[in-house]
Amino acid sequence: MEKKLGVYICTGCSIGDAVDVEKLGNISKNALRVPVVKSHFALCGKEGIELIKNDIKSGEVNTIIVAACSPRVKYEEFDFPGCLVERVPVRELAVWSQEPEQAQLAAEDYVKMGVIKAQKGDIPEPYMMETVKTILVIGGGITGMTAALNAANTGYQVVLVEKEDKLGGFANKLYKKVPTAPGEYSEPLIVDTDIDKTIKEVESNQNIKVYKSAKVENTEGQPGQFNVTISSNGSSENVMIGSIILAAGWRPYDATKLEHLGYGKSQDVVTNIELEEIARKGKITRPSDGKEAKKVAFIQCAGQRDPNHLSYCSAMCCTTSLKQAKYVRQNPDATAMILYKDIRTPGKLEFYYKAAQDDPGVMLTKGEVKGVSDAGNGNLYVEMEDSLLGKKVKIEADLVVLATGVVPATVDDPILNLQYRQGPGLPDLELFDGFADSNFICFQYETRRTGVYAAGAVRQPMNMAEAQEDAAGAALKAIQAAEHVAKGVAVHPRAWDMTFPDPFMQRCTSCKRCTEECPFGAIDEDEKGTPFYKPGRCRRCATCMGACPERIVSFKDYHVDMIGSMMKNISVPSDDDKPRIIVLACENDAYPAIDTTAFQHGKLDPAVRFIQLRCLGSTNLVWIADALSRGVDGMLLLGCKYGENYQCHFAKGSELANYRLGKVQETLGRLQLEAERVGMLQVAIDEYDKIPQMITDFVNRVKEIGPNPFKGF
Amino acid sequence: MSEQTSKQASRVLVIGGGFSGLTTAVDAAETGAEVIVIEKNPYLGGRVSQLNKYFPKLCPPICGLEINFRRVKTNPLITLYPMSEVESISGGPGDYNVTVKVNPRYVNENCVACNACAEACPAERPNAYNFGMDTTKAAYLPFNQAFPQRYVIDSAHCKGDCGKACREACKYNAIDLGMKPETKSFKVDSVVVATGWNPYDANKLDILGFGKVKNVITNMMMERLASPTGPTGGKIVRPSDGKPVNSIAFVQCAGSRDENHLAFCSYICCMASLKQTTYIREQNPESKVRIFYIDLRTPGKYEKFYAKIKEDANVAFTKGKVANIVQAEGSDDVLVEAEDMLTGDKVKVKFDMVVLATGMEPAGASQRISGVDYSTDGFALSNPGVFSTGCSKNPMDVAKSGQDATGAVMKAIQTGQRR
Amino acid sequence: MAEQVINPDLNFVKDIIASGGESLKKCYQCSTCTVVCNVTPDSKPFPRKEMMYAQWGMKDKLINNPDVWLCHQCSDCTAQCPRGAKPGEVLGAVRKMTIEEYATPGFLAKMVGDSKYLLLLFALPILIFGAYALIQGHTSLGSIPRGSNGEIVYALFMPVFPYIDLTFGTVAFLAAVSFFFGIRKYWSAMGGGMSMDGNIVNSVTETVSEILSHRRFQKCNVTKERSTSHLLVFYAFAGLAITTTWAIVYLYGFHRESPYPQYDPMKILGNVSALALLLGITLVANNRLKNAEKAGKGSYFDWLFISVIYGIVITGLLSEILRLAGVAVLAYPVYFVHLVFIFFLFAYAPFSKMAHMVYRTTAMVFARHTQREG
Repeated sequence: MEKKLGVYICTGCSIGDAVDVEKLGNISKNALRVPVVKSHFALCGKEGIELIKNDIKSGEVNTIIVAACSPRVKYEEFDFPGCLVERVPVRELAVWSQEPEQAQLAAEDYVKMGVIKAQKGDIPEPYMMETVKTILVIGGGITGMTAALNAANTGYQVVLVEKEDKLGGFANKLYKKVPTAPGEYSEPLIVDTDIDKTIKEVESNQNIKVYKSAKVENTEGQPGQFNVTISSNGSSENVMIGSIILAAGWRPYDATKLEHLGYGKSQDVVTNIELEEIARKGKITRPSDGKEAKKVAFIQCAGQRDPNHLSYCSAMCCTTSLKQAKYVRQNPDATAMILYKDIRTPGKLEFYYKAAQDDPGVMLTKGEVKGVSDAGNGNLYVEMEDSLLGKKVKIEADLVVLATGVVPATVDDPILNLQYRQGPGLPDLELFDGFADSNFICFQYETRRTGVYAAGAVRQPMNMAEAQEDAAGAALKAIQAAEHVAKGVAVHPRAWDMTFPDPFMQRCTSCKRCTEECPFGAIDEDEKGTPFYKPGRCRRCATCMGACPERIVSFKDYHVDMIGSMMKNISVPSDDDKPRIIVLACENDAYPAIDTTAFQHGKLDPAVRFIQLRCLGSTNLVWIADALSRGVDGMLLLGCKYGENYQCHFAKGSELANYRLGKVQETLGRLQLEAERVGMLQVAIDEYDKIPQMITDFVNRVKEIGPNPFKGF
Repeated sequence: MSEQTSKQASRVLVIGGGFSGLTTAVDAAETGAEVIVIEKNPYLGGRVSQLNKYFPKLCPPICGLEINFRRVKTNPLITLYPMSEVESISGGPGDYNVTVKVNPRYVNENCVACNACAEACPAERPNAYNFGMDTTKAAYLPFNQAFPQRYVIDSAHCKGDCGKACREACKYNAIDLGMKPETKSFKVDSVVVATGWNPYDANKLDILGFGKVKNVITNMMMERLASPTGPTGGKIVRPSDGKPVNSIAFVQCAGSRDENHLAFCSYICCMASLKQTTYIREQNPESKVRIFYIDLRTPGKYEKFYAKIKEDANVAFTKGKVANIVQAEGSDDVLVEAEDMLTGDKVKVKFDMVVLATGMEPAGASQRISGVDYSTDGFALSNPGVFSTGCSKNPMDVAKSGQDATGAVMKAIQTGQRR
Repeated sequence: MAEQVINPDLNFVKDIIASGGESLKKCYQCSTCTVVCNVTPDSKPFPRKEMMYAQWGMKDKLINNPDVWLCHQCSDCTAQCPRGAKPGEVLGAVRKMTIEEYATPGFLAKMVGDSKYLLLLFALPILIFGAYALIQGHTSLGSIPRGSNGEIVYALFMPVFPYIDLTFGTVAFLAAVSFFFGIRKYWSAMGGGMSMDGNIVNSVTETVSEILSHRRFQKCNVTKERSTSHLLVFYAFAGLAITTTWAIVYLYGFHRESPYPQYDPMKILGNVSALALLLGITLVANNRLKNAEKAGKGSYFDWLFISVIYGIVITGLLSEILRLAGVAVLAYPVYFVHLVFIFFLFAYAPFSKMAHMVYRTTAMVFARHTQREG
């Protein structure tokens, strides 16, 4: 497409009062050679939009620079399909956040940058490849089966891989389950799992292919094109997969580590899972002598909430013990005693707690269980301290049940067996005690492996009903991923983005930085270190573009040269007392914060010019070197918080930017410039009230260092 | 727009534009469905927009909202109707007819959010967004990162000539005082109810002193007090005299797990109080916090957050529900009475301020939509074609709401397919 | 402190439930009850811990526990209980079981507490007084002697001596003996391991003064009116007790035979007391019904006691009215029923709710004596 540029300047919202619009127009026309330059009092109004639309219709323009307000507002108005649109926030960055005397120069800089950006950018074209949309579900328990049924019933082919020789997972081991109720619970409080019905439904579904006694040996490729090797009963098979649902489930915590609670010392100390097996056989009996148990003590948090065992809470054990108390109470002469730290039946499960405890033989008390000892009469004592029954008590029981916790399958097995340069499993698992959980509160299904969505107890400790809900969500995300990849569009968080990294491989030096740094493991490499970009795995954060010392990675509307050229067009005042500082801001958090500061007419230091980046991870060090070598006094990077509770939507972007800054010193040293001229600050989107001070402080620091000696060269 | 899209696209109407509704909308549209979002407020984001931080990461809610807003903005399949309410739903799966009342905003799309109308507006209104702890002009922007970024005129507080000043101040012809409520109807395949929750009315907790005893606030008020956009600019001070808060009590289950009020557990309050403990402890290193609870409910990984707070020597936990709150004699301090069950003695302790960890009442408890089924507590129930999600379905936190909303989309999309 | 071994007694739990504590198991130990209770001491307050003991069937912790009697069933706990566990009702059930536990003979206590035996219990006085009537040959209305003016004289129907006084004297004596043994057992059961350095005379005096003033009832919120109704019943009983003593003095001291004229001060006291009792017990019943939703509907044990008092006061007043009106056909049967009710009250006092006045007083003295209360 031959670009026909048009600059449209809005004079409303005080822009016209603060800025010499004619001069701005002339700069666009003469210096930047933009053929069409127009202004309007309210560009976003019907008339203003018509003005632009008419120029588009007449073929005069197809690349539109709107010098008006922030891209975060009036997005519907300034949407011109088929055209490249560049929004220049003159109102916010040059007028509302600047003193009147500073507005003109700022507006000129921002308009120039907008025009350069439009000149250097192109309309995105999607990355098209042959894809399949088959969904792979790993795990044939209630979660996996529910996910498979959801996807299959929506019309997708599903491949279900189960490690056992029977579908059903943990539900097969259960005697009964907790029923579901919209509100209050009533008898029966224990009901059949009906797992066989679900198994039948799965096995008879034409869209679902089930592999039993099977394992995923290898997963190669990328979403839309995963080549998955499934081994089953000695033979293996390759299937093409679009996206993956990880529903590998959990196992109970190893009770042999709970010797202090009597496990292994007395036969009559069993786990809650073992109790299910006992219950399935009929009466609740003691393993030691086969006699019916009449005094059953349940020890809650048997390992959970204990840093020596599991530091988390398993969320479902309280409800499970209440359910199992009802097993015990099938004998009207038996008592079930639940010994807890806190009863955790959140939400409407409180109704289950209430119903289950309203039984003469169900007894509960809070306290710290210290141990289990022999009572000398064939029974056991559960020793408790700080209990509601007394400071130090022994509870006599003929059977002790340990409510052991949930350990995710992923804690020691990658399960997915990805053939990825960065490893076979999901990264970050150590943050979540081995669960395939998400770091994102708002986006629970987001993992750092595109097209892989975890559900059920492998993701978080949860009960069966919750797992079924979770499975539905994961199925939707898997479908979404398969569909997006087929259309060549990114998935979360840039779910609208049709660009993709397009490396110019001839200049690649196989330095491996991109393959190492990509937060999503989207880039593999051969034995020589040559990278292979897998756009299906890519989230478009452009961390690779920032990492590449050869500057070979580019996107249609975002590349090293584009941002570099924009920087080159920023004015650098020759006065020594007027520093120029460039602030690179993450467009997801830092920029909206700056935008809000400006919206509130908060004043930002006139020394700074802001440039939005997709993610701070895309910061290429060449920008810093180039800018500083042409006299820019300092550069500040504003990005998301990183560390354990990182907030970066691309997981590692801001952290990597900071890591790279550590390396820029060398370059600055070569230029004989002070390292302090370049800095990075972490800022959250709601810290707009702090931004002016943060920036002023940085500017003052640079002022203290003194003007850049390259100024004027 | 709707007439141009292909016939296969599922049409989903989402009631509620809070966190659950937005997630539903974004996930449905990104799977190819046409989505209509009905939101009763003039802004999107619902309850979470009032929160200062999310637990357990202590990150700002607006961060995730910003991403979702951007997705809404870039997705032509989503149509938003703020200030709107569903009046009725009729029909069945694959063929629902939904009637919606769109209330007048009195500010049209010409608004550039320049604040001129608010400056000119002579009238004030109590700021419900800040739970009445301050006021705004009757022409106002709900909060500074509100989406859509468009002003609104509160006609209940802008009577007579009041609107004229606004209209004259606006250079962009954005004030339209003649706007009338409109009724629209939509044909959709499925409906997702994401109407969310309201904080339980603390005035009903007679023995906990709210409204009668000074410096007894609710946890949602605490969020606003701690927020930089709140009435005190983020400084946590006593409402009665602006004094710094050196000692504070959190009263758990204030109305939750209580058959006289909300019989269910509200899920979020334990974590919310632990989170708010960090607000206080961060602002005032000398401060002392005491949390009175029945059972501390921090399921799953939240336990680790609890464990961290427990390490703080200035934070005490007392097993025992507070059942009496009175003003300390001769001061604005608050006297709290409970039984410390592990020592087995009644305690009466004085605090600078008391936070009632009030629970979530589902929106259906106060307002029901014709065509949606509800439980006795007011939770919306799902049936084929109409799906309840988020806190209108069950008390849950933000993380669970997002997850649940995605699951609701799965079901909604299937409804469209069977058409 | 020695570790206590906990061995829950499921049957005890079931007994409490059967005795009116059916909501017992709903308690989730939040302690709202102890905080809203205005009559509990601040240290080791009730009724939260009692709820726990009751849920676990820890009989020893309840039966020997004076706290269950310090509770006056204001029902503030029940009204505020977030779970509908009704601690007030549960403690009421525990009190009933305490009476059953200590009252001698035990089988009578079981019978009084169980509606199945109600007819049997009534059968005893009916048989006794029926036998008396037959012995005297009262086979028809006409066979009953009248007064000199043809008026109805109950003493001629059922002579005070030997029938009435010997019967009731024996019954009262047996009840007193039963109470004595019950209380002695109870006192020593409560006393296990307690230090008792207080002055017993002081403890008794203070307790009596508190009972006379009904101060504690005034601390109740939900059932505030009960301080009036219970006070009325209490003083009405006192009035009737004085009236009875007075009558004995008249009979055996001054050899004045009944009926006494209506203006006789003793008669006036008796009538006023009876009316006060009627009013008081009506208020009691009314309050219970009115507060049923908040405070619980009460147990069989409670209502049996209320009904018996109703029976006594109504038949008593009717006997008098019918006697004065000369309606013999009704007067004698009503008087007969009156005697049956009085028998019921006295004979079963150590086993019925009537016993609360003795056990509660004992527990209150004990609490003072051991500095549990001061």
